[in-house]
Amino acid sequence: MSAHQGDTKILEIKDLLVKFGGVTALDSVNLHVSEGEIAALIGPNGAGKTTVFNIVTGYYTPVSGSVTVEGNSMIGLRPYKIARSGLARTFQNIRLFGDMTALENVATAADALNKSGLVGSLFGVPRSRRDEKRSMEKAHELLTFIGLEHRAGQLSRNLPYGDQRRLEIARALALEPKVLLLDEPAAGFNPQEKVELGELIKKIRDRGHAVLLIEHDMSLVMKISDRVSVLDFGKKIAEGTPSEIQNDQRVIDAYLGVVEDAS
Amino acid sequence: MDFSIVVSDFASLTLDGIVVGAIYALVALGYTLVYGVLRLINFAHSEIFMMGTMTAVFVTSILGFTGYEDPLPLWRFFLVFALIVIASSVVSGGTAVILEIVAYRRLRNMGASRLSSLISAIGASFFLTETFRLLTDSRNLDFPRMISKEPLFQFSSAYVTQDKLLVLAGAALLFYGLNRIINHTRLGLGIRAVSQDERTSVLMGVNVNRVISFTFLIGGVLAGAGSAFYMVFYEVTKSNVGFLIGISAFTAAVLGGIGNIRGALIGSFVLGLFQQYTAAVLGYNWRDVVTFVVLVLVLLVKPTGLFGEALQKARV
Amino acid sequence: MADLSRFNLRDRFGDWWDETSPIQRGFTRVFVIALFYALPLINNPVIDTPETSFQSVLFYPLVMFSLMAVGLNVVVGKSGILDLGYVAFFAIGAYTYAMFALKTSLNFWEILPLAMGFAMLAGVILGLPALRLRGDYLAIITLGFGEIVRIVAINTEAIGGAAGLTSIPGPPAFFGHEFTVMDPRPYYWLTLTLLSLVIWGVLRLSHRKPGRAWEAIREDEDVAEFMGVSTLKYKLWAFIIGGAVGGAAGAVYASQIRSIQPEMFTLNLSIMILACVVFGGMGNIWGVILGAVLLGYLPEKLRFLSETRIIFFGLLMVVMMNIRPNGLLPRKKREVVKEKS
Repeated sequence: MSAHQGDTKILEIKDLLVKFGGVTALDSVNLHVSEGEIAALIGPNGAGKTTVFNIVTGYYTPVSGSVTVEGNSMIGLRPYKIARSGLARTFQNIRLFGDMTALENVATAADALNKSGLVGSLFGVPRSRRDEKRSMEKAHELLTFIGLEHRAGQLSRNLPYGDQRRLEIARALALEPKVLLLDEPAAGFNPQEKVELGELIKKIRDRGHAVLLIEHDMSLVMKISDRVSVLDFGKKIAEGTPSEIQNDQRVIDAYLGVVEDAS
Repeated sequence: MDFSIVVSDFASLTLDGIVVGAIYALVALGYTLVYGVLRLINFAHSEIFMMGTMTAVFVTSILGFTGYEDPLPLWRFFLVFALIVIASSVVSGGTAVILEIVAYRRLRNMGASRLSSLISAIGASFFLTETFRLLTDSRNLDFPRMISKEPLFQFSSAYVTQDKLLVLAGAALLFYGLNRIINHTRLGLGIRAVSQDERTSVLMGVNVNRVISFTFLIGGVLAGAGSAFYMVFYEVTKSNVGFLIGISAFTAAVLGGIGNIRGALIGSFVLGLFQQYTAAVLGYNWRDVVTFVVLVLVLLVKPTGLFGEALQKARV
Repeated sequence: MADLSRFNLRDRFGDWWDETSPIQRGFTRVFVIALFYALPLINNPVIDTPETSFQSVLFYPLVMFSLMAVGLNVVVGKSGILDLGYVAFFAIGAYTYAMFALKTSLNFWEILPLAMGFAMLAGVILGLPALRLRGDYLAIITLGFGEIVRIVAINTEAIGGAAGLTSIPGPPAFFGHEFTVMDPRPYYWLTLTLLSLVIWGVLRLSHRKPGRAWEAIREDEDVAEFMGVSTLKYKLWAFIIGGAVGGAAGAVYASQIRSIQPEMFTLNLSIMILACVVFGGMGNIWGVILGAVLLGYLPEKLRFLSETRIIFFGLLMVVMMNIRPNGLLPRKKREVVKEKS
């Protein structure tokens, strides 16, 4: 549990209704992430977890419902605006800019918070030069934070799998998100790596970012989350602390008894 | 701009629009079928059509036509025409299959980007156009008149001639044949499956490569047959004929909803009619600009076309 | 075959470049630039072209293609937007110059920014609606745009119609040097200077935020948007820059050739420039220049290629995509591999 946990809700999702053609992907879903908390979103495959991320980051528009960040509505905004408003994400299937170096990947996201434009960059006006310096410094700092400084000059598609996953996180952090959305960050990790990832997520939370985590590894979820929400068939079926969720019959049923022991 | 022409010549323009639409449809189906299975616009499809027209001219020259003969008796015409249709279909269909193997298949297996596939297709298209431009010395090639163009009867302002009826009848036959293939054969089933969901089709044991080759073949054959009808109707071709027909056919396919067979048909007739009416008012030299404008408008306003779906699955 | 696809000229050059000192680099740069300016003065039968004079070839197609290839590269190579109608910008630049030169008393230097401006405006008009579309559709629309410009030019008597415009004046004398019809060399030097400026500008942008944004868009447009990049804005800028360069090239071309017809601005030209970009190395500015030089020069030198130019280009595009999609000089960066400390 975190000492920073507050009651201020940063990300609020209310009554979200999402349909694709005739299929209802999310049905009146209510979720929130509070300041300083690590929240987890779990549920069987196809429950709609990634859809939540896609809606929240502006890729799809919901039929109805609201998504607000610190009270500001995100519905209808283009994804890049939402990214600059404090929601950054990683992806289930790693989606780095493969032919760009690790440093450039992070710098691209860092650039987003700079206001300087194309003409300024061309003529080297002072603001552009300052922004360039700032982006580079931020990128280096984040790479160091995540432990990938030595990879800075390497093409991201040549990095080993674990480094790629962490690079995605560093890239998202460059947007200085109020809520960091992690989509199955532990996929493909061995137990040791999962432990390290858990530590990393806590460090991220301590830096001032709230975290919303989609994960299938229950031990990881149980160990680091402050609060867990469970989706099944597009509906939220349970929400509470990790231990409450573990013992919730509805959750167990939803997974058909496949919930791993939190050992 | 004189709009009264549309009223006074309505029957004539409409008849011509339907005939032209039928020819467009035969080409548009090729675009839409390939798009359905590959999610790719076969840029070189227009040259498949062009080669069909060249084959038609070639066959007539082999058979000894000089262009100065009288129209043939009907039964002889049908024999000759059947030969031409078969030849053009074979050449077009064959070229389409070869095209797929050379320009697309390897890229597909390499997992190349869409940009690469598109560029390869464009390269193939230009290769073919220019090759034939050199072979024909940039000349127009004439097609001998083998069937009388005397009007059989007149309906309002429309002169109904044999060649127009031939086009309509032939196209209808081909559409029927296509329908049977798509809906009543295994390969047709394969096409529908791959159009909907390629990955699952593979899991269900569909030989995707064969389906794709077959799709190109069908599209090519239709375009080849269409080119034979085109030659009887228009009686002239040149190396870049594919380009303008292709743009119209492609626009028709998009208008109807690319990937949707029914849409390709309807879009073709709608566009054919629209072209006739606007050409009457604005003049024929603006026809292609108008077609482009239609294409742009459709893509901007309703990219899924009249019958397309958001996820762009092929429907029959 | 495998070696052919992996041979990396760029890295070999990069290795050598890293070994040199700043003074050596400065000298090399000056030497190379001087060499290019000196090219028209060379009179050597080995490099001479049979049909037209080498000096004329230097102007068109060599440096003209290079300039346009660099412009198109920003759109296709860097940003990944397939533009099949690049000739439209070239045409707009040429016609703008011709019309203003014929109808007003403005001279070349005054019209040049106007020509670029009109082309840039065309880029915006085309881009605003078109750039929201996906790759294949966008390509078709750009192709349509190119054709529409040509057809409008043919059908609009006010700008010359099918006959085009003639007796277009050239640029005014530059410090005593005349721009005559007979001598292509001043035009070559003018265009070479323009090219150098454009190269400078594009490189500057490439190494900063715009370059990263374009690359991200090219790599994965959706994710770029998620990472805060306004993809529409940067794609539009790519169009605008491509348009400006194409328009400038058109203006210079019209000022040299003194008479223009719509039939000069065909789809074939768009494809030729695209072939330079594809062949030379998409996204790599030196690559596309190399591509432009090779594809411009070889058909002039080898007569059989001259006739079959487009056939060759078409075949080349298919072959390149199959064997070496990244072109002669790939875009791929040189990596810096360090040990974990």
